[in-house]
Amino acid sequence: MTRKKFGWFAGVLALATVLSACSSNSNNANTTAPTGSSAAPTETAQSQTYKDTLNIAVTAQPPTLDTAITVSAITFDIAGNIFEQLYTLNANYEPVPQLAKSVETSSDGLTYTFPLREGVKFHNGKELTAEDVVASMNRWLTTNSRAKQLLPNAKFEEVDKYTVKLTVEKATSDVLLLISSHAQFPSILPKESIESATADGIKDYIGTGPYKFKEWKQDQSITLEKFDDYQGVTAEPSGYSGAKLAPTKTLTFQFVSDASTRIAGIKTGKYDVAASIPSESYDELASNSSIQLQTYPGGALTAFLNTSDGLLSTNDKYRQAILAALNDEEISIASYVKPELYSLAPGFMNPNQTRWATDVGKDFYNQANQEKAKQLLQEAGYNGQEITLLTTKDYAEMYTATLVIQEQLTKVGFKVKVDNYDFPTFLETKGDRSKWDLFVASTGYQLTPPQILAVNPDWAGLNNETVKKGVVGIREAASPEEAKKQWETVQQALYETGSATVLSHYNSVIATAKSIEGFQIQDSLIVWNAKVPE
Amino acid sequence: MLAYVVKRILSLIPVLFVVTLVIFFIIHITPGDPAATILGLEASPQDIQQLSHELGLDKPIQEQYVHWLSNVLQGDLGDSIFMKQPVLQAIQEHMGPTLSLAILAQLFALILSIPFGVIAAYKRGTFTDVTLMGLSLVGTAIPSFLLGLFFMLVIGVRLEWLPVAGYEPLSAGLWTHLRYLILPGLSLGIIQAALITRMTRSSMLEVLNLNFIKTARAKGLKEKKVLLKHAFRNAFLPILTIVGQTFGSLVTGAVVVESIFTIPGLGQLILNSIVRRDFAVIQGVVLVVTLIVIGINLLIDLLYGAVDPRVRLDRK
Repeated sequence: MTRKKFGWFAGVLALATVLSACSSNSNNANTTAPTGSSAAPTETAQSQTYKDTLNIAVTAQPPTLDTAITVSAITFDIAGNIFEQLYTLNANYEPVPQLAKSVETSSDGLTYTFPLREGVKFHNGKELTAEDVVASMNRWLTTNSRAKQLLPNAKFEEVDKYTVKLTVEKATSDVLLLISSHAQFPSILPKESIESATADGIKDYIGTGPYKFKEWKQDQSITLEKFDDYQGVTAEPSGYSGAKLAPTKTLTFQFVSDASTRIAGIKTGKYDVAASIPSESYDELASNSSIQLQTYPGGALTAFLNTSDGLLSTNDKYRQAILAALNDEEISIASYVKPELYSLAPGFMNPNQTRWATDVGKDFYNQANQEKAKQLLQEAGYNGQEITLLTTKDYAEMYTATLVIQEQLTKVGFKVKVDNYDFPTFLETKGDRSKWDLFVASTGYQLTPPQILAVNPDWAGLNNETVKKGVVGIREAASPEEAKKQWETVQQALYETGSATVLSHYNSVIATAKSIEGFQIQDSLIVWNAKVPE
Repeated sequence: MLAYVVKRILSLIPVLFVVTLVIFFIIHITPGDPAATILGLEASPQDIQQLSHELGLDKPIQEQYVHWLSNVLQGDLGDSIFMKQPVLQAIQEHMGPTLSLAILAQLFALILSIPFGVIAAYKRGTFTDVTLMGLSLVGTAIPSFLLGLFFMLVIGVRLEWLPVAGYEPLSAGLWTHLRYLILPGLSLGIIQAALITRMTRSSMLEVLNLNFIKTARAKGLKEKKVLLKHAFRNAFLPILTIVGQTFGSLVTGAVVVESIFTIPGLGQLILNSIVRRDFAVIQGVVLVVTLIVIGINLLIDLLYGAVDPRVRLDRK
């Protein structure tokens, strides 16, 4: 009898397993992997009803929603729905007005006057006026690291109730671009919110955007709700600019650190958008007919070589030997698994930004020339000193790339050690230049070359006059053509000194419900026009 | 009994002091600067230095310890540098999900393990015994995260019977609350069940061979009564100990399962705080968890008396 009961139990278990296997989604429809936006909201039949809530699975909880004091990309994904800027970027990365109506630049390039749109309301009901813009922009200028570095001593002043004026110390070509940038963007908040901010950041998330902050459940989610009194512009949506229709009542950003949970969630419809899909899951999701995969240029996987401490700093030939030894194809396929998820190009800037795209330095890039590397090592007088590659397993692509580099450098005769730490320890160790010779980092794209990490002497320690002059030259150039020439000089110098090299440009992968409409990606998730049919 | 409880509570003081000392210094000598972690990869050394100063992390470590300990003694566990809220509040918010999950997992564990353990002992040496012990061995060997991913894939994704992840509080309704906890509860409960089953079996076997069981059977008592009233009650003390220990580990150690199923419990709080190097939260959670573990052990000790009159504490 007992055996019978057990047999029955085992049978049920087996049946459940078989049933589960049979009910698997066996659709193998071709998958598109579009870049950019999904179908426009206007294309749908009027009778269609849509979900009230859009569930977006992001990889981690942001440290804050204060865009001025963080570099967290998740902050910008979420805060972009709450806050707006004076100017923002369209799909071509050109500055276009958002809360400002226009801009008038003085002939000496030192003064920018912005008339503001009237009748714009904050989420607390207060009307946006010049005092709010002045308070917000001056806080950004004095607290944001990039603004402090690139716009020193700049200042906003109130001209009248609906006009503000920016005065800068030096005339440069990138002032409007910096103000329009989405990374670390200058949010406009009520003056009172700015005044109550502490070193930790702002306390009240009150903006003028199409969604207002509703709730932050620690380690769980952030919920935003449609702002009914939103006064936006009416132009066609393009990048971060244009109309923001907020067709979905509630946006919920859920913090899901585990990739397999994000994948399970998008498969079952729990999430409508799942960010950061790992390369190894690409094929699995691509074969699912209810899911759409979207890829977009995420940034550059870059190797930074120590020019200020340790063996590599003693002779340029060591660094050149490393550049000669690197086989970027091997490194990239190991890191990103699928060829469509990366591209090889020496440029440090986003290849989609034609203004800055250049292949200068290509002779130093992806050489995979072991003989040359050995020769350079010999010329440098290398006698077996150990070099240290710093990495972290917390970012799989950085770790994998480092291991491949270790193998490639070992083959040409370097004695190589890999120091692997968790990410916080990696960050701390990176700050001590005596502890590493090379590290690989996934670096997001910057809007202008002076913002890239490879040219920042504080960051990786490069102290090169050509680069310094070039950076100034880019900013002070009279025309875009001249600025690009200056940038080409800088990129060439980066490769000649061997202080940094791009390994590859990677595409980030986002999974969305196939039926989603109005969803866009630029460098960030754009969901203010997104909706999902019920 | 009261004197015993007071004595046990007083004995906690040196234990807790050592815990504060060890956890504070271990955390602070672990590499990884909280300021650098908060500011991220692109931050400059100047920004990191400035934030470290603002957070008071550049002060001597002993000064930081004394400051923290004096606040703890006044009931203030400090503020989270990442979540920007008091640590006590963060712990309170994360305690609910963990307790719900632990109770449900323990319930699953007991429902499975007690009958399995009793049956295995009763059917010692038979096919049933071997099968149940084999299953419990497998249960002990499988990591909870693997079981969690399996349940997520089969029950959540393929069959779509239950949500794959997430959490809803009890205020959203009992069934809604439970729906989100069943899969993680099973993942944890099955692992615990394997352990309790083995303990129940061995404890029952020991008792079943004693003379009073033979007497009970000789008296003509029904087998069911012999097993449950006489044998199981006498075998329950070691089972209770292991149940207490497993509950303690459920409350404090569901780190991976909470992370997989995105349950905002204590496990996830401590994991995230380690990644963020949120020192105050790590210290606070470890302190609270120590108190919980000690409290559970004390409770189990007191329950011994209720289960077995021979060990009542107020007896001379």
